[in-house]
Amino acid sequence: MPMTDALLSSVEQLFSLATLISMLIGVVAGVIAAAIPGFTVTMAIVLTLPVTFSMPPLQGVATMLAVYVGGCSGGLISAALLGIPGTPSSVATTFDAYPMARGGEPGRALGLGIWASFFGALISALVLIVAAPPLALIAVKLGPWEYFSLILFAITVVASLVGRSILKGLMMSLLGLFVATVGPDPMMGVPRFTFDLDLLAAGLPFLVVLIGIFAVSQLAGEVENPEELRQGQALIQGRLTVRPLVVMREVLSRPLNLLRSSLVGVVIGAVPGAGGSIANLIAYDQAKRASKTPERFGTGIADGVVASESGNSATAGGGLIPMIALGIPGSAVDAVLMAALMVQGISVGPRLIMDNPDLVYGMFLAMFLAAGMVLVFCLLSLRWFLRITEIPKSIIVPVVLVCCAVGALALNNRVTDLYLLIGVGLFGYLLAKLDYPLAPLVLGVILGPIAETNLRRALMADESWTLFFTRPISLALLVLAALSVAFSVRRVLRDRRRTATR
Amino acid sequence: MSANNPSAAAPTGPAADSTRGAVLANLLFNLALAALFTALFIDAGELPSSMWEPLGAGAFPRLVLGALILFNLALALQAAMALGHATSGGGTLAWLYQRRLACATLAAFALYALAMPWLGFPLASLSFLLAVQWLLGARRGRRLLVAAIVAVAFGLGLHLLFGQVFQIPLPAGRLW
Repeated sequence: MPMTDALLSSVEQLFSLATLISMLIGVVAGVIAAAIPGFTVTMAIVLTLPVTFSMPPLQGVATMLAVYVGGCSGGLISAALLGIPGTPSSVATTFDAYPMARGGEPGRALGLGIWASFFGALISALVLIVAAPPLALIAVKLGPWEYFSLILFAITVVASLVGRSILKGLMMSLLGLFVATVGPDPMMGVPRFTFDLDLLAAGLPFLVVLIGIFAVSQLAGEVENPEELRQGQALIQGRLTVRPLVVMREVLSRPLNLLRSSLVGVVIGAVPGAGGSIANLIAYDQAKRASKTPERFGTGIADGVVASESGNSATAGGGLIPMIALGIPGSAVDAVLMAALMVQGISVGPRLIMDNPDLVYGMFLAMFLAAGMVLVFCLLSLRWFLRITEIPKSIIVPVVLVCCAVGALALNNRVTDLYLLIGVGLFGYLLAKLDYPLAPLVLGVILGPIAETNLRRALMADESWTLFFTRPISLALLVLAALSVAFSVRRVLRDRRRTATR
Repeated sequence: MSANNPSAAAPTGPAADSTRGAVLANLLFNLALAALFTALFIDAGELPSSMWEPLGAGAFPRLVLGALILFNLALALQAAMALGHATSGGGTLAWLYQRRLACATLAAFALYALAMPWLGFPLASLSFLLAVQWLLGARRGRRLLVAAIVAVAFGLGLHLLFGQVFQIPLPAGRLW
């Protein structure tokens, strides 16, 4: 399909009434979900997935992107108004947006964050459009050796970035790889580890594992502390007013900060495993280092809000780069997006842009559209934000648990999936309590079949294992994988020495 | 038992969960997983090999399982070594008591799933929503009223939304 045809086709699909409405609902849901402390963007996206089953592929993915982009902004609300980050991605936002709001300018704090999020998302979508296609062109030339090494690299990076122990991170990645081997094997269809159970015949249902790991176990963690349950005491009194154009000019008068923070977000988003939760802190830190008045950071200045919010929003586009170009998700959220495409029967990998150009262009356009929708929705609904953050956990937790049950049922409509959901939820809760990071597990599950297929293809082409080490790109990737483990081990040892000397 | 003696000695860094109970839980968990993966490793040996490729269906899982066994043994060793200088914390019961609301919520969720095939989605959801909201603090007055409205709205609303709009029917219940 020529490029213009694909573009026109994607515009036609995206600007249909049904898609626009479902995207709008997605944006609203994403903003609200992220605004509620304890309800994360990942949860919202996982629970959106079953709703998209009955939609055409582009509508489904566009809706999920809308939730994602909305969620990148929503965390700002509770960060600015309550001083509690609504999602881990807005931790740095509390540093300056909250003091600013306490200082009597809650409208300005929110307005700055909303505009910074918008420009961050915009810049990241632009980088995505420029970077993904050429990267995919290189990626299609990679042989199975390089691909397998690339996945090993992705897994070690995730394991070394998330959590405190690389051993635990790697164990979780491997567990994910193993979970993915349950069911028919990807080359011959031989059933594995199914123990003649109907439930496992087609493999462990990925969606159920996702919901159990990211929603059920996390929700259980939310209600541990009885004192915390009565949340939502409004700390900010008074009316929320914002002058959109004035605030926009204020954001745009910091082009360097905006651009630097957004690019930090894009790069960190593109690294597997590192997402908004790291990007906002690094963007904030970089802005502080570059500032002429670093001592004013943390007192409620605009630069801090702009850095954190543009940084975390820019991870949305960044995470899509490896997913679209290589078929390797940049974060748990991208893994869910990838699963959504796979449910629709679309194979995700370097050939995605060539085989489904209209879908990929549609995703690019949906990023812009969603960013615009978030902006308009947030500016219009500003005054109700305080009410959203007042919803107590005693309502959120049971309602979202019921949504989890619906999500698990929607896939196959079998009650056994519900039992599995509870099992996975309990196991996930145990893992979280034992301090195991959960993101590597999900990436392992997604990457497992790709890793196995490429490993077996490589050895089918040539039985010699040495090719993994003699092909230059493959060797480079393996060296990078080893380095990422080595760095992480060094970091742990240094930390341990520091605590020992103290 | 000293439940009200939290990890005051080690408030920072990886030492935060170095209480004896936590270390022991890690040790048992890793040993159990190592045993499970060993059993699966042996089981995977029976998978058929292929005549067209050097690796059969069993090779990749065995590679992963082998690595999993090693990692779990390493983690178990790490925990065993930490056991010596672990601080004493609360017992298992105190740990569970501290998380009683989380445990009760998960138990209610399990009951909900078990009851759903019999009661059907709307009624099971309604009861679950009411029960857990009550459990988490909506005991009387206005909060209880809000809880009831939420239970009805989501119990019936989700059923209708999925059944009518998305054409994905949820369980109707075997009892009626």
